[in-house]
Amino acid sequence: MGFGAPFRRRRDGRYAVDVDPKLRTVLASVAQQLGPMIDADDPATTRLFPPAYVGEDTAADEEGYRALVDGALRNHHHRALDVLVATASAETLTGEELDAWLSAIGSMRLVLGTRLDVSEDMDPPEAGDPAETEYAVYDLLGMVQAAIIEELASGLPDEGAPERAL
Amino acid sequence: MIRRPAARSRSTEVETAPVEDLGTDLAASTATDHPWLVIVWNDPINLMSFVTFVFQKLFGYSKEKATKLMMDVHLKGRAVVASGTRERAELDVYRLHEHGLWATMEQSG
Repeated sequence: MGFGAPFRRRRDGRYAVDVDPKLRTVLASVAQQLGPMIDADDPATTRLFPPAYVGEDTAADEEGYRALVDGALRNHHHRALDVLVATASAETLTGEELDAWLSAIGSMRLVLGTRLDVSEDMDPPEAGDPAETEYAVYDLLGMVQAAIIEELASGLPDEGAPERAL
Repeated sequence: MIRRPAARSRSTEVETAPVEDLGTDLAASTATDHPWLVIVWNDPINLMSFVTFVFQKLFGYSKEKATKLMMDVHLKGRAVVASGTRERAELDVYRLHEHGLWATMEQSG
């Protein structure tokens, strides 16, 4: 990433992307690996499908929730990854495409973080640790995600929207 | 997105329901009086700025309120971020799951 903001909203509503080509390659490559892991129900992807109901006597409710949303949630994750792969080298993105980047990168971090078993107070792996490279990618994804959030959050009103009626 | 016919607002149903159906409709709404709570749990992966952003985006909360809820999640381990009917709560949980947040729901009371 250069000295300017990596993601910047232009007057026409599109977002200019100033991200290093090597980093773009990493993003596309990790995204391409994640799709098949979701299809294979890889244990590292469980965090992408959290339970809605926990606690006693909720098994039937949880089963109902899963039956209702599982397909939609899988499609959502796949679609975001597909958009990221397809637009990884794009100079500009639409708002929807940037949302997909944010979602895909978030999923990638959840899966890598699960595999690395990260915790809030952990130290990064030391040099020579087999997990070193994967942690570096995890860290890099966090920086890209933070840059996207910074730009998207600046477009939200600080005072919020009127509270919804229940 | 998930769509459920049952997610329509109850007040609309009551207004349009034939008179003889009002009794059962009111009984059904009494049974669901206790609102469902949407809970987000702390996790070590999602960035704090991301969690705040999702609360603002999904619920229209002010930056101040979203930040406070995020800090509750971070420091207390969980926070109630929304409440409402069961259908509404389930939709909120689903939208939070789309964003990779660890969200669950439970009935209050």
